[in-house]
Amino acid sequence: MAEKEGSLPFKDLKVVETAQGVAGPHCGRILAALGADVIKIEPPSGDWSRKLAPFLGESENIESSAIYQYNNSGKKSVILDLSVPTGISKLSDLVSKADILIEDWDLYSRRINGISTDTFTCLNPQLIEINITPFGLSGPYSDFTSTPIVQLALGGYLYLTGFPNKEPLMLPGHQPDYLAGLNANGGIQIALYERDHTGIGQFVEIAVMETLATLHQFTMEMETYDGYIRTRNGNLWQKEGLFANYGITTVPCLDGHVSFGVSTEDQWERLCLMIGKQEFIEYPEDWTREKRREKADYLDSLLTEWASSRTRNEVMIEASEGWSLPTAPVLGISEVLEDPQFQYRGFFQDIDHPDIGKARFPTFPFKTTNMAPSLTRAPILGEHTKEVVG
Amino acid sequence: MKSETIKTNPSLSGLRVLDLTRVWAGPLATRIYGDYGSDIIKISDPRVPLVTSNGLNSKLNRNKKNIGLRLDRPQGREIFLELTAISDVIIENFRPRVMRNLEITYESLSKINPYIIMCSMPGFGLEGPYSEYPAFGTTAEALAGIPALIGYDHSLPISTGLAYGDPVSGLNAVGVILAAIRQRNMTGTGQFIDIALAASPACNLGEFFAAYSSNGYQADIRGNKSIHYCPNGAYKTSGNDEWIALSVTDDHSWKHLQDIVDDPVLKSEKYSTFQKRKENESTIDKHLSNWFASKNARKLMFRLQEAGITAGMVSNNRQLLLDPHLNDRDFFVDMDEPLFGVKRYDGQSIRGNFKNKDNWETTRNVGENSQEILMELLGYTNEDCERLEKEEIVLFQ
Repeated sequence: MAEKEGSLPFKDLKVVETAQGVAGPHCGRILAALGADVIKIEPPSGDWSRKLAPFLGESENIESSAIYQYNNSGKKSVILDLSVPTGISKLSDLVSKADILIEDWDLYSRRINGISTDTFTCLNPQLIEINITPFGLSGPYSDFTSTPIVQLALGGYLYLTGFPNKEPLMLPGHQPDYLAGLNANGGIQIALYERDHTGIGQFVEIAVMETLATLHQFTMEMETYDGYIRTRNGNLWQKEGLFANYGITTVPCLDGHVSFGVSTEDQWERLCLMIGKQEFIEYPEDWTREKRREKADYLDSLLTEWASSRTRNEVMIEASEGWSLPTAPVLGISEVLEDPQFQYRGFFQDIDHPDIGKARFPTFPFKTTNMAPSLTRAPILGEHTKEVVG
Repeated sequence: MKSETIKTNPSLSGLRVLDLTRVWAGPLATRIYGDYGSDIIKISDPRVPLVTSNGLNSKLNRNKKNIGLRLDRPQGREIFLELTAISDVIIENFRPRVMRNLEITYESLSKINPYIIMCSMPGFGLEGPYSEYPAFGTTAEALAGIPALIGYDHSLPISTGLAYGDPVSGLNAVGVILAAIRQRNMTGTGQFIDIALAASPACNLGEFFAAYSSNGYQADIRGNKSIHYCPNGAYKTSGNDEWIALSVTDDHSWKHLQDIVDDPVLKSEKYSTFQKRKENESTIDKHLSNWFASKNARKLMFRLQEAGITAGMVSNNRQLLLDPHLNDRDFFVDMDEPLFGVKRYDGQSIRGNFKNKDNWETTRNVGENSQEILMELLGYTNEDCERLEKEEIVLFQ
């Protein structure tokens, strides 16, 4: 799809971002790419994510964290020490002229900095303030600290990944924070929609734990409707519950693994035909959905045998084009970068940085007819302090 | 006061959305709009009865109106085009050929309403070598690189168990559609948005792609081992399949953990730094596991957190529903489902000016609002409705 150079939707917006880490900055990255002027406030030591591995280039330093570089694309970096009164007062000046404030102050830092949930919206009634914390600003866990695995644990995700009777497994990297950042982006834009109609801003709160709890598909309904505890089940979906048809599985093939997402009855029939087991269709009473799940290991072995003479790519082409079955290669990071579909979409973009050289970053999952997001490098610590606060 | 009057209207009041979504990614996106007071018109095929027995419909299609409409019939299509003319957004997540066969394309719809924002959510995107291939949340996450980074070791990739491509795409849709609305309000033209299910999870792995491309960095896949924290893992506690997740984030919290865990080996000075702990991680994990095995996960979580150690119990679906924190924050919503009674569902995680939960409505039958939509929005008469029902173009219930 040809992307026309359009006027970007947030070109009139000023954003102040005091949030650090992944969630808030990821949300700020989206706003910056869509035209907003995003001023990132960093403590003198820099956003803490500047110290997080993995690093880009040859050395580990505050300009080379991949997480920082990815999530702070296109922003301005301004050093303000918010632990001293002049820092807070300079921040207030910036926020009083801003449209959006992205912050991550929890109850503790609000107390010590004397910042309440209406401090800034009173100062600037048009302000949209988005607050992102692990557990929110109230409740028994509000003083808890968190990391990705702890967040996944309390959000109900960890329990669902891995094999039964084995340790539950975390998702890679910083998934809870990315999800909260995306949710915060939604929250900002909902509040903007209202402000564009009423002229009035608002305070919006995002808790990472609640973000996860709203992205569970049918997991909680298995309990409320059927009294089931949903457990992790390797690459097979659990026996009970919707869509848990056989054919949602992962099997090895010549050059790796392939994922199948066979979930409907007609897909099941085509799967049987593909692996040469027409008799499964002819004796449906032996192959009810329940029986398929009981015999999943046997079916996996048949599918594995079928796949064993094919590469991932051959499996995908044959199963998708020949049998209209949802399937995909299980790709490693280096392979995703080379995948023809992602390349066709121009999904990755090289961004050059004076200290660390070129690196390849994901752009966005969407393509649109007249919105062309712009991605540029992340700022050097304090690069814009002088320009913005003098 | 003026501001209070305004506050009674939820944020997205006045935004009209034609919802052709199904399953999970699309309905999640429009659910967020519905919770925020947007006028969602969900268009269902009258020939496909709504499945309500698993709770999914009530969960995902709350706060939406439903019309049962045959899009494959000329008069049904005409009604769809009339709705297009008075709507802001059309969103769908069929396979690409379904919309083409129905001749519902952005090109044709934008002629009727140049302001319309249309969003499609296919598996791999509308163009490119895989564009016609079917997809599922699990296959989308596989192509994005997620399961290859999950596992007990390198030998077997493990999927998330969450059909991860879907929820991430749903969240992406919420933001980008509203951005397009804002751009439309500035420029006077709508646009088409193509969100690839498989691309969304890849955007949550940005640092891995960048690091590999820069210096060949390879992520280490060994259970729950972290490059930032040590120890980091899930440890079995007392009770059936109960676990606690723990991260020691710095040397201070390691000291606090040493004070709590009564184990002479772990008290040793030789584990005082991250580097030293990393070298002895399996020994540390073994001793921690021994000590945690007899503890209650929830009590232990509070005790560790109070001592400054990052920990959380590994909640299952039942524990999540009973979670004291979520309940204290009034996170859940209880809605009366016509056939199954009052059930508890997840609430709205964006805590802004959403619709008062007392007014949230649960599942809708196909065609429950057909009459209201045709008569109030499009000016159809009772006789028109009767005719459409007789000709099986619209389902009324």
